[in-house]
Amino acid sequence: MLKVTNLVAGYGKVQVLHGISLEVEKGTLVTLIGSNGAGKTTTLRTLSGMIKPSAGSILLGDREIAGLDAFKIARRGLAHSPEGRRVFPTQTVADNLLLGAFPRLTGARPKNDVMADRDRMFALFPRLAERRGQLAGTLSGGEQQMLAMGRALMLEPEVLLLDEPSMGLAPKLVAEVFSIIARLKAEKITMLLVEQFAAAALEVADFAYVLENGRIAASGPAATLKNDPAVRAAYLGAAHASAHV
Amino acid sequence: MNILAQLIVSGIVVGMIYGVIAFGYQLTFSTSKTLNFGQGEALTLGALVGLSLVWFLTARGLGIGLAYIVMLPLVLMFGLAQGAVVERLGVRQAIKNKSEAGWIMATIALGIIFRNIAENLWGRDALKFPSPLPEIAIVVGPVRIQPMEVVIVLGALAMMLAVEAFNRKSIFGKAVVATASDRDAAGLMGINTGLVITFSYALSSMAAAFAGVLIAPITLAGATMGGVLGLKAFAVAIIGGLSSGLGVVVGGLILGITETFTGYYISTGYKDVPGLVLLLLVLALKPTGLFGKAVIKKV
Repeated sequence: MLKVTNLVAGYGKVQVLHGISLEVEKGTLVTLIGSNGAGKTTTLRTLSGMIKPSAGSILLGDREIAGLDAFKIARRGLAHSPEGRRVFPTQTVADNLLLGAFPRLTGARPKNDVMADRDRMFALFPRLAERRGQLAGTLSGGEQQMLAMGRALMLEPEVLLLDEPSMGLAPKLVAEVFSIIARLKAEKITMLLVEQFAAAALEVADFAYVLENGRIAASGPAATLKNDPAVRAAYLGAAHASAHV
Repeated sequence: MNILAQLIVSGIVVGMIYGVIAFGYQLTFSTSKTLNFGQGEALTLGALVGLSLVWFLTARGLGIGLAYIVMLPLVLMFGLAQGAVVERLGVRQAIKNKSEAGWIMATIALGIIFRNIAENLWGRDALKFPSPLPEIAIVVGPVRIQPMEVVIVLGALAMMLAVEAFNRKSIFGKAVVATASDRDAAGLMGINTGLVITFSYALSSMAAAFAGVLIAPITLAGATMGGVLGLKAFAVAIIGGLSSGLGVVVGGLILGITETFTGYYISTGYKDVPGLVLLLLVLALKPTGLFGKAVIKKV
């Protein structure tokens, strides 16, 4: 569903990604793990068009999307729940969700039943249902994260990019977010998950890539990588895990 | 006491005109953090195009009232187009290059060009804009008010409320608000934020053109009518806060009323001073404007 080949990108003159290749098959959950500054967020930002790549190819389905504007990529069905959540603070929870379906409401994507989908989001994230009329800026960090995920799902995406959904959340909320990701996986939603919390990501994912200094350092089925000694030492060390939990 | 009420009413009328123009500044500032410094010329062009339309229609036998009503939507459309042109020519490239000052020079330059065009097409003299309503003052207690002045206040309010309703209710309006709060995130929603900015410039000039045809029947229409209005509305936008919808109305009223008071009690020669002093005070004491809010970001 998503096939990335030799992607090169960065900010201004600073190159961050030095030719990465990865693939997300339809209906699977792939995770991209790596330490701070490895280029995980940059990868997602490049995929969704927030940054223009300087080389490489991004195929969504069978269509090339590398270099397109972000809004065109979204209209082709790639949803991105960005780092820092980026909900629209002055608008209500309900409106934020509707905005996620903007291409469906304006004819750029099949409409289907947007309102029914919004109700499904309220069922999936009951905290949002309670706060549907509240301004998004008044939500807690965890609620904003759920709103960002719900908003991205409102696109009915072909592929969903999730950037650090656990960042800054209390352990109980981290568990809640991961249980929702597991539910989405059971619904066969194609996802690329970026996480610093590698143990939990490898637990839930089908396949994983390890990113180091802008290059793919290792890849394989998540279950295999989880037991790989090198990966364990670098990303799943006892000290590292306890720092997160 | 009688004169006090009269001064307040006259101040409200002028203030609402300032408010509508300032509302236009706010529209583009919220989506793009840029302003059209040719906003006054957008008002001029709106009034003059409206005047020509009224001439054309009345020459074909329409009554002035009907001609005014037919002219309104055409002038609004002209304003939309004029604003879109300003954005495309003067602003888009500056935003793309993240230029700090490019749009300032470009919109001022376009404003001067528009004023020159107006001088050449309509001449340098101020022209009488026929009033669509009787020019006989209505007397309400101590206050004398022209019917057209009532139309100005109601028309200005109606236009601002219509834009507010559009932003709150329609999905396109919601997309405009989303672009204003986070342009990148709005792009991720599939919103063409470049087009939203063009649209906000179009709406901004439409507001100015509307203000032009509202005020022209009680003043005069001419190539230089918009310059000072645009500048004062800029002061209003700063006083009221560039990010607050309510602010421009209150800011406009404050400035309008201060002006009529100064004009009466001190001297008409000084009537522009208090507004600008107020502007300086607001900039020194509360730079986000009286109603502006500093944005709080949750991380």
